[in-house]
Amino acid sequence: MKNRSMKRVLRFGGAVAFLGFASTVSAIDGPQIIKENCLLCHSETGKAEAPFSRISQQRKTPEGWQMTINRMKSQRGLLLKPEDERVLIKYLADTQGLAPSETADFRYVLEREPNVVEQNVPEHLASTCMGCHSGARAGLQRRTTDEWQKLVHFHMGQVPSIEYLAGHRDRPWFQIALNETSTQLGEGYPLVTKAWDDWKAAPKAPLNGDWVMSGFMPDKGEFSATVSVMPNKKDEYTLLVNGYYANGTKLTGSGNAKVFAGYEWRGAVVIDGRKMRQVFAASEDGQSLSGRMFLKNDDVIGGEVFAKKAGKSPVIVSVSPTYIKQGTTQTLKITGSNLSEKISLGKGISVEGVVSKTADHMLVKVKADAKAMVGDRTLAVGASSLDAALAVYDSVARVDITPGESIARIGGNGGPIPKQKSIYRAIGYAAGADGKPGTEDDLKLGYMPATWSLKPFDAVAEEEHDLKYAGKINAQGIFTPGDAGLNPERKMSTNNVGNLAVVGTVTEGGAAVSGEAHLLVTVQDFVKELIQ
Amino acid sequence: MKFKQMVNPAKGLGAVMTGLVLMGTGLSVQAATDEYLLTVTRPNQLHVIDTKTDKLLRSCDVPGTFGNGGIASSPDGKVAYVMTNKWEDVYGFNISDCKIVFSMKQSTPMEQVKSIISMTVSADGKELYTVQNPVKLHKDHFEAIQPRLAVYKTDDGLNAQPVRTYPVDRRITKLGFIEKTSEVILGGGDIKAIDTTNGKVRTLAKLQNWDRSPEGWVPPDAFAMHTMGEHIGEYIMPYFTIKWNGEPGDMEKAEFLWGMTKVDTKTGDVTTGEVLPFEFIVFNWVTDPNDEDIVYGSFNQLSKHNIKEGKTLAVHPMPHTYYNINMLEDGSKIYVGGTSSDISIHDPKTLKKIGSIKLAGDMSTSDLRIAKVQR
Repeated sequence: MKNRSMKRVLRFGGAVAFLGFASTVSAIDGPQIIKENCLLCHSETGKAEAPFSRISQQRKTPEGWQMTINRMKSQRGLLLKPEDERVLIKYLADTQGLAPSETADFRYVLEREPNVVEQNVPEHLASTCMGCHSGARAGLQRRTTDEWQKLVHFHMGQVPSIEYLAGHRDRPWFQIALNETSTQLGEGYPLVTKAWDDWKAAPKAPLNGDWVMSGFMPDKGEFSATVSVMPNKKDEYTLLVNGYYANGTKLTGSGNAKVFAGYEWRGAVVIDGRKMRQVFAASEDGQSLSGRMFLKNDDVIGGEVFAKKAGKSPVIVSVSPTYIKQGTTQTLKITGSNLSEKISLGKGISVEGVVSKTADHMLVKVKADAKAMVGDRTLAVGASSLDAALAVYDSVARVDITPGESIARIGGNGGPIPKQKSIYRAIGYAAGADGKPGTEDDLKLGYMPATWSLKPFDAVAEEEHDLKYAGKINAQGIFTPGDAGLNPERKMSTNNVGNLAVVGTVTEGGAAVSGEAHLLVTVQDFVKELIQ
Repeated sequence: MKFKQMVNPAKGLGAVMTGLVLMGTGLSVQAATDEYLLTVTRPNQLHVIDTKTDKLLRSCDVPGTFGNGGIASSPDGKVAYVMTNKWEDVYGFNISDCKIVFSMKQSTPMEQVKSIISMTVSADGKELYTVQNPVKLHKDHFEAIQPRLAVYKTDDGLNAQPVRTYPVDRRITKLGFIEKTSEVILGGGDIKAIDTTNGKVRTLAKLQNWDRSPEGWVPPDAFAMHTMGEHIGEYIMPYFTIKWNGEPGDMEKAEFLWGMTKVDTKTGDVTTGEVLPFEFIVFNWVTDPNDEDIVYGSFNQLSKHNIKEGKTLAVHPMPHTYYNINMLEDGSKIYVGGTSSDISIHDPKTLKKIGSIKLAGDMSTSDLRIAKVQR
């Protein structure tokens, strides 16, 4: 049975090209590929530790190297065989990559998570680089100061209008970027770090084996799955995915994954007929995977994924829902493997019985006493436990909509750029001990089902009838923007852009609590890059 | 808020000449001048429009890829210099027959050279100036080097090479030429003038390096994407600033202001200061030839302002964005263009639309300039 599935998977694998899955094998290794293809412009330094000019003075993620090679191909005349390109990206990402600790703060940009508002970006980076790039774009590279300076010179040649842009032209942008920002980047993101030296030297755990996965897809909801990861060749795996959505519907899929720098998992899977991408980071011990899975052709439609390696001992991955109201009975889905039926949720919560059990999850009926103390509970399943797995609450006092600030982009309508949707979820809170919502002691309950609506964000949006034109939100909190192109019905024949508020309403026992998020529906992103 | 008023002798002379026309002598400069409206559209054509009939006379194919659509006219109005090929090359067209009478390419295999808007012609028409932003193309890296004013002789014809270069600041956009001093106006962070014979630079107006306290003012954002003002011999560099009436950053008490540095291109007289409250974005401004206190602005609206009184007099909503604006020498018509493919014609008194010229392609960022040809 397993063998037949594997054959099917392997046939499929040849058709997927995502950071280099393919069957053709390169005859030469990374350094040789550089020597044969790059030395028309780059030169050999004669130094063993940094053999090639420019190339050896930088470290990047697999996507970062892919972008560099794309640019060399499209603008500098590089001709590289696809099989050599795959080998080269793997070689560079493995030998000149980033340590897990160096990418930890910037996973969102690799995961293509939409609508992230970056926090704590250094001022020098914000004013010099972030008119166009995310802070993560710089944060996911390591260079010598001289290389950061060469990058500034590159920008002057590649984008000659750069020092004339709004936000740049009111200061000596080039001099600041060259003399100040580059120096700070060289100090903050240097080529040589202990983190990378240590990680490069550390043994890497193989990632094959059985995994239990928990995740979310905006249009399908939460899911659990077992993932069989079978070694193919070094750092390449074949996957089989079997699981269930929250409503009990089965989920099946298969695909491939490739691991760069010992932990950067890039998967290409087909689940229930839909092509999807996985961008995960393996933990340093190789026992968990976390990241995001999204539709190949619509990367906004995706969600968080977390997986743990299944072993002989019980493993808990997640619990859903993550809340229970005082005095109510609730069915909990506990995702994990080897789950025993010895379940405890602490004081005030009684376990009424196991409803069903599969390889990846268990449905358990639990009851909260009317006087169960409000607060988080630890879930224990046999010898395994999960802290803050369930919140006991009195009533929903506040609802936050996430993301709070968001952008969707018009598209389609015969144009080359598809619509960029935006997705929303409602997070409920209890008021906490002080009885007031919106204070520090609010108790986070987790994602709650909500109904969705839109309204104009302000008086201008109302006057311009943005609500009529900018798009629609569905029952799952997925906003689909309007068609691209001029709209003669609108003032100045403007596009179907708009400034909206997304309203999510959680109803509980007849009481409705709403939260709002800001949504700007804007024009297409004409320069979309692997790392924005 | 107010401009410091300066006496403008050239203006006075103009008024006298107009008077002569009214007396019917037939000897006035205006009566003997034909004005042609010039603009460039994508994919890359220079268009010559007769402002008497507002009809397209001819379209000249411009070599190379569209650049910014920058245009500088020779003082006799007969040659239009067009910047093309992604801000790199300049071709001079005889506007009566589209013949190319001048050309130059700034980039070489060793150096990428871009001019961001910067192009002007001397008052005698003998020299053409650009500000070059060079980037050295090394084998495996780029190196941005100091910008320079490049001087070309217009009668060098095709494939002209610079006859002189002088170092200048970075971030220079719009150029102008001061007839009296033979200097090129360099519009950048500050407004400077460079002597075209020896490269000596002097400051005409400090903007980003002005002497005001940062507690009181935000350094101005001075920027120009287009060149105009030839209808009266004027160079305008608009800027935007914020005056902090309370603590810096206190938007409640802050004033948002338009400022302008104006240079009289005949005399070199300079006036600079804040002129209007910032009410909406204006991309370009022109001065009314009959009243130097009146300016018109274009963008999502055509607007009319009195800069002496700091007042907006009229706002005419436009059906789409128009980056550009220009006027006839006698102030009888306003042309609003750029961005899309139609030039909208308006009455300066009421701002009402009185005509339109449809072109084959989009003007995008192109200049909209007036060539004055003596009959």
